[in-house]
Amino acid sequence: MVGAAEEAQLNRLESQVDNGGGGVWEYLCLVRKLKARRSEKVLKHGLSILNDPKSRSRLGGDEWTLYEQVAIAAMDCQWLDVAKDCIATLSKKFTGSLRVGRLEAMLLEAKGAWADAEKAYARLLEDNPLDQAMHKRKVAMAKAQGNISAAVDFLNKYLEIFMADHDAWRELAEIYVSLQMYKQAAFCYEELILSQPTVPLYHLAYAEVLYTMGGLENLQAAKKYYASTINLTGGKNTRALYGVCLVRYPGYFTHGFSPS
Amino acid sequence: MGVGFVVGVLGCAILVHAAYSTIQYRGVLKIVEEEFSGPPMNVVAELLLGLALCMWAGLAVPTKFLSILPDSEENRIVSLPANLDFMIFNHRGKVLPTNTELKLKVQDF
Repeated sequence: MVGAAEEAQLNRLESQVDNGGGGVWEYLCLVRKLKARRSEKVLKHGLSILNDPKSRSRLGGDEWTLYEQVAIAAMDCQWLDVAKDCIATLSKKFTGSLRVGRLEAMLLEAKGAWADAEKAYARLLEDNPLDQAMHKRKVAMAKAQGNISAAVDFLNKYLEIFMADHDAWRELAEIYVSLQMYKQAAFCYEELILSQPTVPLYHLAYAEVLYTMGGLENLQAAKKYYASTINLTGGKNTRALYGVCLVRYPGYFTHGFSPS
Repeated sequence: MGVGFVVGVLGCAILVHAAYSTIQYRGVLKIVEEEFSGPPMNVVAELLLGLALCMWAGLAVPTKFLSILPDSEENRIVSLPANLDFMIFNHRGKVLPTNTELKLKVQDF
């Protein structure tokens, strides 16, 4: 959940770091905390720290986390050599580690070697059958190969075991919306709102799905959820405000009221 | 910040002094062999004064209070984190030109 002040701080640090001012480690920590996907910047500035032995030694134990972060950013930017080097360094330090094994399998995924990545994940899952991140990577791989129905199956099976994982519920809801299965998407958003009722963006997404489904009751429910989003964001969320205006409009045709 | 700090120290000193006078008052009562019902009025007044000073210092010394309302300007949730567990790598960024100069230098341990 990225608050407004945190986002402003992230942007400020980003512009500061881009213009050569200090604070690179602070920026990287903030990106990691907020789980933002700024792969190019992370890669550029992370490499600048890792290539400089003085600043690397200053990090102490945190340098391995930085290696992991830079490896994932490199895979995202398709700089596979850098990723391979980072992972090699990590596996030299932590041999036989599950986390490093996962990174290696992710590298295979990034290369596009789907069969090898499957085999790697299957092997890792044999030793650790209840590792959440591994199951999620299987879902991501199915999604990347375009096999959306398999991704949905995997995700449903995962959610039967780990019912409290709201990231997975959110992913499932987005997949259902992309498949236009709005009732199921609405169910997923309901689960999300149940577990985290104070996050306004879930209310907003639920309201949008209800509005898309149409029908009188859904529109009235959508109006309520747009209103609760406005309530939770202090009236600053433009999309929710617009949603409340839009939901009033079809009422003219269903009730025959004069515009009031 | 300096004034608030001094006021806080003064408030604590007044409270300590009130405690000391209560202990002395109890000693006097033991000599006179009366029941200890409560501290004398001036000690109570001193306690209230110490309370007021400490409270004022407690509010004045910290520079800026953090906002706790979820819909305040700083705390309102602007975006959700980018679901990195399900991140996929075969996006359009693959065809962007890569800068082959930047590499990870070989580390010696």
